[in-house]
Amino acid sequence: MSDIQITFQDLTLGTRKAKLINFKGQLDETNVDHEAKKIYQVITEMAEPVLLLDFSELEYMNSKSIGYVTDWFTQISAKSGSVSIIGPKPNILDILKVVGITQIITVYSTLEEAKTALGALKSATPGAPAVTTQASAL
Amino acid sequence: MDQNPAPTQGHTAEQSVLSKSNDPTSQEAPLKITIILPTNAYFMAGIRDFTMTITQNMTGFSQQWAYRLQSVVDELTNNAIEFGSAVGENITITFVSEKNKYIEVFVKDTGTGSSKMSAADMMQYLESHKNIDPTTITSIRGRGLSQIVANWADKVEFTDNEDGGLTAHAIKYIDANEQL
Repeated sequence: MSDIQITFQDLTLGTRKAKLINFKGQLDETNVDHEAKKIYQVITEMAEPVLLLDFSELEYMNSKSIGYVTDWFTQISAKSGSVSIIGPKPNILDILKVVGITQIITVYSTLEEAKTALGALKSATPGAPAVTTQASAL
Repeated sequence: MDQNPAPTQGHTAEQSVLSKSNDPTSQEAPLKITIILPTNAYFMAGIRDFTMTITQNMTGFSQQWAYRLQSVVDELTNNAIEFGSAVGENITITFVSEKNKYIEVFVKDTGTGSSKMSAADMMQYLESHKNIDPTTITSIRGRGLSQIVANWADKVEFTDNEDGGLTAHAIKYIDANEQL
């Protein structure tokens, strides 16, 4: 089984509670079904999920892993929440682009950039979704 | 694409290598490496590492393309493990490359897996899905072959094996602009 460590951290963005989820290692066929359940659990527990997927230490993801990210996005959007991707390595960003994920989920270079953007969005437009669906400029 | 070498015509690793090895105009014999592994996804991380190593060090592809080809091989291998060969059977992966020209990979299953499909079925699936807007795909599956492999290989084809299995064959040529 490929090595993957997923850790969770609570954040506050403006007035909103958010969950920072760090992925360290490789997501592939051997582990993604099991690991994805942890993310679904978070989505279930949060009334209006705001998830920041920290991919800065993610070394590999296969197509099924990307499929799960899409499904998380769909479920989170249905609960008026938001999901963002933070700091992917070039190979991860490359594969996210080729399957169109960067067209539906905003990618930030750093956590600070994400915090600033998401906090500002929430402050500037109360009640509005914290994340736009515009393509990343990365 | 016409100026590129045509590594194979018969779509099997053996034919490809024999044809190149016997080519008197070939200045250097192509690299050929074959790996046989049990039908178990446990080994895929090792296959990815191996793909990365030979692509970066022996083919002339850039690091970006090494990562891309790693994904291509991973997706084809995963399909073979998940659908093509039963547990207890094998998957055969063959890499063929001429440095600074191309790399091709053959992934052969035994046709004993959970979802036996013919080469024609696979080509039909690929042709009908490769131009789909990826943002419209809402299922967890369905991006490996039709998006990743189709976009990052110059040619993808399937051959029915004599023993009933399937061989997936992908080729990527080096573009002068893509080399290091």
